[in-house]
Amino acid sequence: MFDIKITRLLIFILPLLIISCKKETRIIREEVIDGYIYTVNSEPVYQSNVEKTKQKTTEQFISILYANLFQTTIPQTDLTDLSLIRNAIGDKQMADELIISGLVNNPEVNIPTNQQMRDNLDAFVEDTYIRFYLRLPTAYERYELRDEIESDLDMTPQDVYVAFAISNEYKFY
Amino acid sequence: MNRRDFLKKASIATSGIISAPYILPTGRLFAPTGQRLVNHVVFVLFAGGVRNQEAVDQQFLANQGLTTEGNIMNNMLAGAAPTNYTSLYNPLNPVLSQPLQNSGTLFKEVIYSQGPTGHYNGHTVALTGNYTETGLNLAINPEFPTIFEYYRKHNGLDQTALDAWWISESLGPYPSLNYSRHPNYGAGFGANYLHPQTVFGEEGVRQLSSITDYHPEEVARINRVKQLLDNNFNNSGEAIPGIQNTGDNREWIKEFLTNTLNGFENQSLDIAVPGNNYFGLNGDLATISTAWQVLDQFAPELTVVSTFNVDACHNNFSYYLNALHRADYGVGWLWDKIQSHPTMANDTILIAMPEHGRNLESNTLTDANGLRAYDHTGDDNSRRCFTLIAGPQGVVNQGQVLGSIGNPAAETIDIVPTIAYALGFDDQISGSLMQGRVLEEAFV
Repeated sequence: MFDIKITRLLIFILPLLIISCKKETRIIREEVIDGYIYTVNSEPVYQSNVEKTKQKTTEQFISILYANLFQTTIPQTDLTDLSLIRNAIGDKQMADELIISGLVNNPEVNIPTNQQMRDNLDAFVEDTYIRFYLRLPTAYERYELRDEIESDLDMTPQDVYVAFAISNEYKFY
Repeated sequence: MNRRDFLKKASIATSGIISAPYILPTGRLFAPTGQRLVNHVVFVLFAGGVRNQEAVDQQFLANQGLTTEGNIMNNMLAGAAPTNYTSLYNPLNPVLSQPLQNSGTLFKEVIYSQGPTGHYNGHTVALTGNYTETGLNLAINPEFPTIFEYYRKHNGLDQTALDAWWISESLGPYPSLNYSRHPNYGAGFGANYLHPQTVFGEEGVRQLSSITDYHPEEVARINRVKQLLDNNFNNSGEAIPGIQNTGDNREWIKEFLTNTLNGFENQSLDIAVPGNNYFGLNGDLATISTAWQVLDQFAPELTVVSTFNVDACHNNFSYYLNALHRADYGVGWLWDKIQSHPTMANDTILIAMPEHGRNLESNTLTDANGLRAYDHTGDDNSRRCFTLIAGPQGVVNQGQVLGSIGNPAAETIDIVPTIAYALGFDDQISGSLMQGRVLEEAFV
């Protein structure tokens, strides 16, 4: 299991290391976590959110956000633009909300339709937790979010995605 | 009643009902007793490194071996403009009917007495009131509290980050100056920071133009889910960094930012360029124009805005003159706008000061006009600055000029205590935190 994961990560990480000389080699562990996060897959990585104790850097946050919303790697121009914008606004929560708002309004964004969400709410909740938090929801989290969506017919998948993206847990890995 | 008034009054009324008498966040029972001179201070950090020779000394090209002198800062300073070589800086008609100097006190000679004359050092000195060490780390917030933190911590109950703004021409390390890492102050008392050229420039246009304002009900839905998610995440590691606006203020500022972005895009905003010609915007004037939008919208009590384009003087003296002239225009324009504002007019003190000067001797570079360039490497001349403090009659001494070469009337560390004095909380700050003094001689 370990060897398979490492092999898969190396396949993903090696091109990044070759392309970019900015990252220091001493943060290998972060690269590994990034590797999990950047990859577009549907497998949980964390058993629980208590494992998340480190904040994402601006570049990590934006790259991961983009990957989560578009299911593809962020183009370098967009990463540079959005990193600058995040630095250019003092209230980072506000900056994140603006950035997220800009991205979710992009026609290329990959968000389920309202019909898809409500047709299979359990699957939507689980997929959303895995997509944004890289973990499965607890039973209580599953119940809470499902209840919140069911009780508000105006709640859209976009609203849920924005809420996940601006949540505190999403800022950590 | 506008939204700002409503929110302020509502929150004050609510807090009064729930918890009177209220112990302030500072641990004091009552707001400071210091007498305010005005309710608004705008500090223009006239930065990038300005030589006194071309500014207050009005020597124009005299140091280039040409026998022509004159005042190229005709909004801020009194004095006749040059009569020759004016095409070098493309003169603009002044905005103000009389120079700002006549509406205040000019400290013609101000010294930056210690530490490297680097831009970030100079900014840090001006905003913390403390000289900096040689090994200043550009990547982290300053050691000593900033004027924003003093203001928010010592000014009573209702000062939020909406009341304090730091708007800079350059990005780089400057976002770090909206709060310090001092254990008794920090992000909780910091200012809103904004770099207009990114948010409203190419990056903002590319990435933020598609933003739509959320309906309040949608905001409520999103926040409900966010709250649900946050309740299940007990982070025991690092705290979320940076300043935080209140929920209402955050929505208000987001709306302001999207409207301002649209205004720049469709060229509908009032800008600090004659004829509202958007092609005439440089970085300094875009920054000053944005500062006005912030002032007009939020009427903050403390605003610091920086210019920086004169730093071209490292290799282009002609552009330096041009940028200096335009930065002066921007300051005049801003003052003129403030005097048109319903609450800020006659209730605002404007302070303008470079972060440091530039060398006496030129470097080896010349520009296309054969004019020599100047760095700022810490010689005595690069420690020479000036400060202009303008404000209402009866508050600020009008038309006063203090200091002369070799006889500085102030130091750059004096601005922080002076702003604290103007806003009535200087006596609340521990003397051990600030090296400077209040420039009381500027005030009636």
